[in-house]
Amino acid sequence: MHPAGLRARAAVLHALRSWFAAHGYLEVPTDTLVPSPAMEEHLYALAVADGFLRTSPEFALKRVLAAGLPRIYEIGPCMRDREAGPWHRREFTMCEWYRAGAELGDLMDEVEALVAAAATALGDSPPRWRRTTVRAAFQQATGVDPARAAAEDLSGHDEPWDDAFLRRWVTDVEPTLTGAVFVSDWPASQAALSRVHSDGAWPTAQRFEGYLNGVELCNAFLELTDPAEQRRRFLVANVARAAAGEAPHPVDEALIEAVGRMPRSAGIALGVDRLVAVLHGEENIDAVRC
Amino acid sequence: MYSTSDIRNGLKVEIDGQPYMVTYFQFVKPGKGCAFTRTKLKNMLSGNMLDRTYKTGESLEPADITDATFQYLYEDGEYFHFMNTETFDQLPMEPKAVGDAKNFLVEQMEVNVMFFRGNPVSIDLPNFVELQINYTEPGVKGNTAQGATKPATLTTGHTVNVPLFVENEEWLKIDTRTGEYVERARR
Repeated sequence: MHPAGLRARAAVLHALRSWFAAHGYLEVPTDTLVPSPAMEEHLYALAVADGFLRTSPEFALKRVLAAGLPRIYEIGPCMRDREAGPWHRREFTMCEWYRAGAELGDLMDEVEALVAAAATALGDSPPRWRRTTVRAAFQQATGVDPARAAAEDLSGHDEPWDDAFLRRWVTDVEPTLTGAVFVSDWPASQAALSRVHSDGAWPTAQRFEGYLNGVELCNAFLELTDPAEQRRRFLVANVARAAAGEAPHPVDEALIEAVGRMPRSAGIALGVDRLVAVLHGEENIDAVRC
Repeated sequence: MYSTSDIRNGLKVEIDGQPYMVTYFQFVKPGKGCAFTRTKLKNMLSGNMLDRTYKTGESLEPADITDATFQYLYEDGEYFHFMNTETFDQLPMEPKAVGDAKNFLVEQMEVNVMFFRGNPVSIDLPNFVELQINYTEPGVKGNTAQGATKPATLTTGHTVNVPLFVENEEWLKIDTRTGEYVERARR
């Protein structure tokens, strides 16, 4: 436990809440014990009683959004099993917000403003952000065009394309993402709950990630609002989970129903521990937690 | 076999027939993908560095690396001969495996020998050794120019740069990691 880290954390939390309040966002605390923890194949939830500890507040917040509140946010604990390292922890603090009618560029602007508010609260100058795409960053770092490369050419391993792409990404591309940078247009197969843009040769997910000093800080979606497609993705993820010998996650019917009533919107999740730790110059998130 | 959860600094693994030691590792998990462990590995024979990323659940082959303490005995022109200080077994080593360590070996010196698959592959020397000068140009009296040096050949055949005041047959303290002169040794 580091008193200076905890003071920085309190200052950043205050700055975030002040920014949201000043921009018309309503704080909505949702349940941490939930009936279905996540859709994505690679999230592992802790089962508790007759439910799960949430891996993010995404499903609950989408129901609030569908109920007619256009600007909402939540800052609170999330739990992901099997994640441990300097920048990963089983329990961590997520800041997630949704805005009806917003596009991804609007959320990039908001991240810039929020991070600037947090940096200012710590007496630092705000970082200057640049914006790029997955394809451009990948080509620049490796000379390989991911839109045209097979799995074998990406990683040299005989493995699924997404694994090969990500292995190369974390090995050779992520280390080049210095400073503050938004990376958009991810492979469609990594869309999760975002819309897919299928014009052109390479279908991409309408999704971006923000990196701050090499640490993945946030992940944003132009949200899927098609309930049939949402159900299909749930089932695909569960097939993959079963193939890996993992138990399927319950399909969240309340979420699927809410997705059909959601306005066109964009949503984003930002790791609060990571934000505080990076701005405070720490090498891990434990330094800013109790 | 090791799994990705066994990865830690100092773990020795075999990759493409070569032994490597983990010198850095980090758990990473991209936003919407599986988890990986990013590593930096040092080739234990060449010293070359390698970046490898392992997917969670992948296995790593342990490197068959052992080591033991040996005393250096003598060189017969073909092999360098050592003796295990515990078993007293003798070990002939090829010059290739001895490498640059030959520049610093003096009889009865204790060294650590590393074996890969049962074969001796390298010698770990003490950081500092004391070696005697075989020949150096006599010092010029009164020459105290700062930083001026001259070559001196040691009894092992290794040549180092020494200050001008150092004389023939003196003993020197040598840093085996850089091969450089540190100071005169009192004998």
